[in-house]
Amino acid sequence: MADIKLKIKKKLDFPLEADSITPDNFAGKNIADIKKLPLFYATKQVTIGDYFEVSGKSTDVADTVIIIDGDVSNVKRIGENMTGGEIIINSGVGMHVGNHMSGGKITVNGNADDWAGAMLQGGELEINGDAGHYVGSAYRGYRQGMKNGTIKVKGKVGVESMLWAKSSKPSKKWPTLYCGSADAFLGIHNHGGTIVVEGDVDRCVGADQAWGNIVIKGKVSRLLPSYKKVGEVKEVQLPNGEVIKGKFIEYSGDHTIKKETNGRLYIAA
Amino acid sequence: MVEKVRTVKDVSCPFCGTLCDDLEIDVDIKKDIVVEVRNGCQIGTKKYFSSNPSDHRYMKPLIKENGEHKEVSWDEALDKAADILVNAQRPLLYGFSSTECEAQSKGVELAEMLNALLDNTASVCHGPSLLAIQDVGASLATLGEIKNRADTIIFWGSNPVHAHPRHLSRYSDFIRGYFRTDGRNDRNIIVIDPRNTHTAQIADKYIKVNPSEDYELIQAIRAVLRGSELDVKEVSGVSIDDIKELVEVLKSSNFGVVFFGMGFTQSLGKHRNVDTAIRLVAELNDYTKFLLIPMRGHYNVAGANQVFTWNTGYAYSIDFSRGYPRYNPGEFSSVDMLMRDEIDASLIVASDPGSNFPAASVKNLFKHPLISIEPHKTPTSAFADVILPAAIAGIECEGTAYRMDGVPLRLRKVKDPPGETLSDKEILEKLIEKVKEKMGE
Repeated sequence: MADIKLKIKKKLDFPLEADSITPDNFAGKNIADIKKLPLFYATKQVTIGDYFEVSGKSTDVADTVIIIDGDVSNVKRIGENMTGGEIIINSGVGMHVGNHMSGGKITVNGNADDWAGAMLQGGELEINGDAGHYVGSAYRGYRQGMKNGTIKVKGKVGVESMLWAKSSKPSKKWPTLYCGSADAFLGIHNHGGTIVVEGDVDRCVGADQAWGNIVIKGKVSRLLPSYKKVGEVKEVQLPNGEVIKGKFIEYSGDHTIKKETNGRLYIAA
Repeated sequence: MVEKVRTVKDVSCPFCGTLCDDLEIDVDIKKDIVVEVRNGCQIGTKKYFSSNPSDHRYMKPLIKENGEHKEVSWDEALDKAADILVNAQRPLLYGFSSTECEAQSKGVELAEMLNALLDNTASVCHGPSLLAIQDVGASLATLGEIKNRADTIIFWGSNPVHAHPRHLSRYSDFIRGYFRTDGRNDRNIIVIDPRNTHTAQIADKYIKVNPSEDYELIQAIRAVLRGSELDVKEVSGVSIDDIKELVEVLKSSNFGVVFFGMGFTQSLGKHRNVDTAIRLVAELNDYTKFLLIPMRGHYNVAGANQVFTWNTGYAYSIDFSRGYPRYNPGEFSSVDMLMRDEIDASLIVASDPGSNFPAASVKNLFKHPLISIEPHKTPTSAFADVILPAAIAGIECEGTAYRMDGVPLRLRKVKDPPGETLSDKEILEKLIEKVKEKMGE
């Protein structure tokens, strides 16, 4: 294991775009080279050395752990496109954390802003606070968003989380979101994504879901009229093999897509 | 006898997205003022009269000094404006919907030079429609097709009697068309709205939907259209029997169209309302011809989207900070940027965010240097550091504008601009020259 520690040293008036902070970019580089990697502040290109104190040592991607200290709640795009290694962020973090990531792990010990884990292709994103809107969603205009990997959010996720999630049975890819509670339009346009919510969910959950599983252990403020009750179940088997025990009412939907559908929504009875 | 009045015919009206192109304007030759407007609606007519010199019109460039606006020369005003823009770290260029396309493309040029944020008023009106179209496509048509063919017309969250006064008589309701020879009697008008609007009162059927529950209603309509029997008896205040009846009416029509306004795009659900409406329309095409058209507000907001798109690839909410255009409403849209206080100077062109944006964002807008290119006094220009007086496009200068259905029409000049005013395009050209000078290019 090789740790690299970053500590932010300036107060930010504008967001800082830090898509270069990934284990892939840091691996095999010495501190001086890491300090030269580009960041974007307002309209200017700056370097990591301008904004962060850097210490530690890196080896190959899989063994590199980046630990970020100080308030980075206005730093965007940390962990973009990362394929392995680990990032630990000890504060809130700005938009797009871990977007397009395909491997490795990111832990956020605070709140994350919008588009956390957007277009996730693999790996694990853990947020030990609340997350903003569009968690694990597709970017504007894309019809395939999160395709694999896991996102765990302790608190609440914002609107339209897991938008256009897409699973693949042959290659055993099951994009999964665990969260504490959720805002409106959770899992909209779902094509096989799995969502488990510990608490309550706002309106329009599973809108236009073609197939997939959404399990809600709390209440739904307003269920869509296009969902139909199937019956009651005592446990829910998720496609990734996990079993969730408890009494649930099973609904099928969204019937706007098909008259008979494999889409399932389970709400605690 | 000497002619006192000159008449300009076939004028396109620069007010709403209907862009009526049959106005006749009488101009007093001696005084060079508008004295009569024929064929226009009340609002369009008022706009022509408002171009006449008055207390509300800016005639000379102004700069704010010690809290007061002071008249200065064009050179001085442009110099100050260029200083503000060049020294800003994160400038915002906003507006553009009530001016012509040539000025809009100059705005894109300036934004690219400054690596600025560029946005137009679609951001707070039909931006959600654009988002939905990007997600699921759209079946659109020109208004001429509607006039000649449509027999089922739905107005959803839209009140054209007040917002687009001549829409009904020119394209969608009373007008006789090639296949609709009996005009109003050949058309079935359905209004879906939480309020019993004046449009609802002249409709054949009015469906009262609960506020902000449009999404659920369309989902139910779509499920019924798929042949599903629903568990519920009522959706969004509408009974299932009414929904079934509506579905039968839609399926049995010859040619249907959904016009939707901001009651639909800006109520809860926003772009998802449009998303599901587009899908409903697409699914109805299994049975009959069905289309939808957004009721665009400003006369050239559709043009702003067109011009921005052919220049940058994106219709609104564009960021040039990294030297190339990026697009992400929510991240780069002006209201969100202002709410997070992420801009430090702004140039507002032909728009009044001061009276339309949320108060918290307006506060942040006024905190920083503000340049306003504007013909009239507005709540925004009152707080501007530099006011550059503009001629009104379509009245005092020519140009191109796009109607709500994407048809470009030529705007006419009916009289000369008063005082020292210049067209938006000329002002932006001069500003670009100044900025180039200051950036050392």
